Order: sequence, then structure tokens, then C-alpha cells
Amino acid sequence: MAETMVRMGELAASAVAGDVLVSLGLGSCIGLALLDRRTGIAGLAHVVLPASGGNAPKGSWKFADFAVPELVDRVVKLGARRPMLEAVLVGGASMFAVSKSSLEVGQRNEAAVRELLREQRINVIAKETGGSRGRTIRVYVGPNKVTVKEAGGTEKPLLAGATAGVNA
Amino acid sequence: MTRYTDTQLDALRELANIGSGTASTALSGMLGKSVDISVPNAFVLPMAEAVGSIGDAESEATGVVLGIVGDMPGSVLLLFTPKDAELMCGLLGVEAGSEYGISALMEIGNIVGASYINALGQMIGMDLEPTPPAAATDMLGAIVQTVLAERAGAGDVALLLDSDLVVEGEDCSVSFLLVPDQGGVEQMLERLGV
Repeated sequence: MAETMVRMGELAASAVAGDVLVSLGLGSCIGLALLDRRTGIAGLAHVVLPASGGNAPKGSWKFADFAVPELVDRVVKLGARRPMLEAVLVGGASMFAVSKSSLEVGQRNEAAVRELLREQRINVIAKETGGSRGRTIRVYVGPNKVTVKEAGGTEKPLLAGATAGVNA
Repeated sequence: MTRYTDTQLDALRELANIGSGTASTALSGMLGKSVDISVPNAFVLPMAEAVGSIGDAESEATGVVLGIVGDMPGSVLLLFTPKDAELMCGLLGVEAGSEYGISALMEIGNIVGASYINALGQMIGMDLEPTPPAAATDMLGAIVQTVLAERAGAGDVALLLDSDLVVEGEDCSVSFLLVPDQGGVEQMLERLGV
């Protein structure tokens, strides 16, 4: 079993059952998981900011407007079917109660990712977003399981695992 | 990716050194103990690697962040491990984890961070003002990433000037990160003439 770290501004996709895609300690960032539960193909993007403002270089996956379409392309390239894609969102917290700008970043990240998913007609089927706590997301490729963990807490399922072909 | 020469990194390290020297004097006055500073590190890292270079992303930490407004916007982040937070609060006679504990750490952050920012401004001849502190106790990764995200607009590179303040006899430390906005690094280097 291989754990792939998806760090700030990175994304990854896999069709290999047993792979685990992980983003550790998401604060205002969003961990966006895309899954095709029929084929067991999944991807994870670690989105840092809502919008590139149009002049960012190609490959700036830290921006939601770059990361969302790219992640869709990557899972589709691996064999996921676009109409079957479903999304899970984790993160978008406001870590610092007093700091207005970080609150905005977390909320704006979630709003931007949701809008981009709507444009792609992808439903959000589970989420743990907002609030003030940091979170780790793990995506188990194959069993289609997504878990979330908070500081000092235990890993809990956000999307219960199921074998390919069975509705979770 | 922006690259800096060794001379430029040395200059930034020296800035961090003088800034944290001033900050350690402020902390020493507050705690009534002598405070040493470690030799600062200057890292220029792709954003993705920044968190890992600071520590285990899932370990617990208390972060106090101050914004910098003025000629060079940025953030100063002070990080305490749970052990350091407890020792630091003990020195001030309050209980760590309580409301008083958090406000004590915020006050330490405020005094230490503000004196660091003022020293930095004086050295490079810039008008820099600290904004009021905010604190969080959570996963280290979540704290650091949130601070980086706020400053990440322009580039994919994070400059981290990292020093440790060690409170003598108590063996507790505070780590210190300066995260300037992207353009700010060039401005600083220009002022330093390197």
C-alpha cells in the first residue's frame, strides 16, 4: 500500500486499488477528492487559493480554477467516466479567529471549488468544511473510502468504503 | 522558480539574526530570564515543501501570527510545541490550554513579533507596522499552510526565515518564521544592496 502525499498546490490521481492519496493538516486549503465509484478511480487536489486572476503560469495547481479542471482530466485519463464523477470536500477552515483574511481564504476556497464543480456538473456527496479546525484527508483508491482526521482525533470515515460496483 | 544567491541568503539570514536578537531581548524582559537565539536558517522552498521542512504536519502546535502592513506586507508566525507552550505559560504563572494560557502566548507573540518587525523595518529603512496577533492551537500543517496561503498569491516559492529562541534554564524554545509576500523579498534584497 503506497501513500501519496498531495502537498500544497499539488494533485494526484490513481487507478491502483490500495493506493492512498493524503493531504496532511489542511487549514484554509481545500482537499478535493474526485471519485468514480464504479471503476474505483480517484484523485485528490490540494487547493490553496480560489482564483488565479488569469495571469498565473500553466501548472499553477494551487489555484482552484486550474486545479479542478486538471483533476477532472487526470481521473478521466485513467479511465474514470466523467458523468460518474463525485466529489468530497475537506478543509476551508478559518484557523485564526481574529484574522479576517484567513477566514475569507477558507470560505472563498470552498465557494470557488463548489462553483467550479457545478460548472462540471459534479455533485459533492460528502464534506467536512469550515469551522476552525485543521484536518487531514485520506482517499483510499479502490474501496472508494474517504476519511477525515482532526488534530488529536481519530480517523473517521466521511465516505464509507465499498467494493467497486456496490453503492456506498 | 525564483532563485537567490548565497550572498543574498546570507544577507536575509543576517536580517533574521538581528530581528530575532531584538525579539529575544523583549522576551527576556517579559519572562525575567535570559533568552538565547539560535543561528537562523533562511529557506527558499517551493511552497509544497515548506511545511515538511518545519516539522510533522500532524503534530500539535500553537501558532501566533502577526501581519505586517506597510512597505513590505507579510506575516510573522511564532510556533510553540505543546511542551514549550506549557513551559512558557508556567514561567508566566498561568495554566497552558486555559483561556489565560492562550492569551499569555498571544501576548508573548505580540511583544516578540512586534519587536522583530520593528527591528526589521529599521534595518532596511522601511515603514513596517505589526497588526494585532491571532492564535490557534491545532495541527502544525494547518497553521503553517494557512499563513502561507495568505501570502501565496504571486509565486510558488516561500521564503522562510527561521530562528529559535531558547529560554535559558528552562530549555523551551519558540520558532519564528517570517513569510514575506513574494515581491517583498526582492525589495528587502534591494535595500540591503545584494
